[in-house]
Amino acid sequence: MSSEAAWVPVALSASIEPGTSAGAVVEGAELVVWRDAKGVAHVWEDRCPHRGMRMSFGFVRGDHIACLYHGWSYDTAGQCRHIPAHPDLDVPKTIKIATYAVEEAGGVIWTRLATAAQAADPLPTMGTNLPVRSLYADCSAAHALAILKQTQLPVGKDETYPARLQVVTPHAWTLEAGALSLSIAVQVIGPQKIGLHILADEGSVDLIAALARWAQALRLALEAPVTVAEVA
Amino acid sequence: MNPPVHFLFEGAFDCDSFLGFARHRADRLDIDLDVNACSGTRVSLSVCGQEALVDMFEMACSLGPTDCIVMDVTRSDA
Repeated sequence: MSSEAAWVPVALSASIEPGTSAGAVVEGAELVVWRDAKGVAHVWEDRCPHRGMRMSFGFVRGDHIACLYHGWSYDTAGQCRHIPAHPDLDVPKTIKIATYAVEEAGGVIWTRLATAAQAADPLPTMGTNLPVRSLYADCSAAHALAILKQTQLPVGKDETYPARLQVVTPHAWTLEAGALSLSIAVQVIGPQKIGLHILADEGSVDLIAALARWAQALRLALEAPVTVAEVA
Repeated sequence: MNPPVHFLFEGAFDCDSFLGFARHRADRLDIDLDVNACSGTRVSLSVCGQEALVDMFEMACSLGPTDCIVMDVTRSDA
C-alpha cells in the first residue's frame, strides 16, 4: 500500500491525446484521466455526482468534460458549469467532482491521491521518455519485481542481455542492459493487478518493436501459474 | 430566496438511513433542509433552494437509499 503523498502513475502521456479521456484504477480508487484541448492532463474521481456514471465514458469539449449520461459539464477545477436539462440554472458550487494533483514527467502522467494540504513526495525522475507500451497484468507488484530481476532485454537483432533492475521508488523502477535503459512506472491497481508503463531512452528508437514484443512476453511470464518450487 | 417546499414521503423507512441520504443530497444540491418528523412509515421534510434543484432533490429522495421504500410523495409549495 502506498502513501497518499506518493506520486503514482496512471498512464503514459502519449496514451491520452488532447480531447480524450480514459479510466484508471489506483489501489481500488477509480479515476478518470483526461486531457483538455490545450493539452493539460487532469485526474479526477471517475464518478459524475449526478447519477454516478463514469466520467471516463464522457466526452471532452475544449476545457470541459461532460458526462455521457445527462451531459452535465465540468470545468478543469471539477466544478459543474452546465446542466443541459436546466440551461438557465445557476449551478451551485456544491456540485463538484473530487480532483487530484497531476504532474507529467518523463512521458508519464502522475497523480497523488492526497488533499492539497498534504506535503507531496518528490516526483520520481526516470530519465527516459520514449513510450514503449502500457502493460496490464494479473499479479502483484512483488511478483513483477521478482520476474523482472531475471529478465533479459533485447539490445540488438536477436541479441539479449541480462538486465539490471533498480527500484528508484515503489512506483518507479529502471532496467538496464548494455546501452539500453528502460523505465517502468508501476501502477498498483489492486493486490493482484498491476499496470506497468514502460519507457525507453530516446536512443532506442530502433528497438521499440523488439521492446514491445519483450513486453508482451513479459506479460505472459507475469501471469504464468506460480510453480510449487517458487512458492516454497 | 424561494419559499420553502414541504415534502411528505410515505412508505417504509430506516430514519437514520433515509435522513442521511436526504442530507447528503441536500448538501450536494445546495438546498436548506429541515426535518420536521421521521417514523418507520412517514418522513416530513421542508426544503428551500432553486426550483430545479428542489425538483432534483424530490426525484432523488423518491428513489431513496436501498434499505427504504418510498410508496408516495406529497409536495406542497408554500
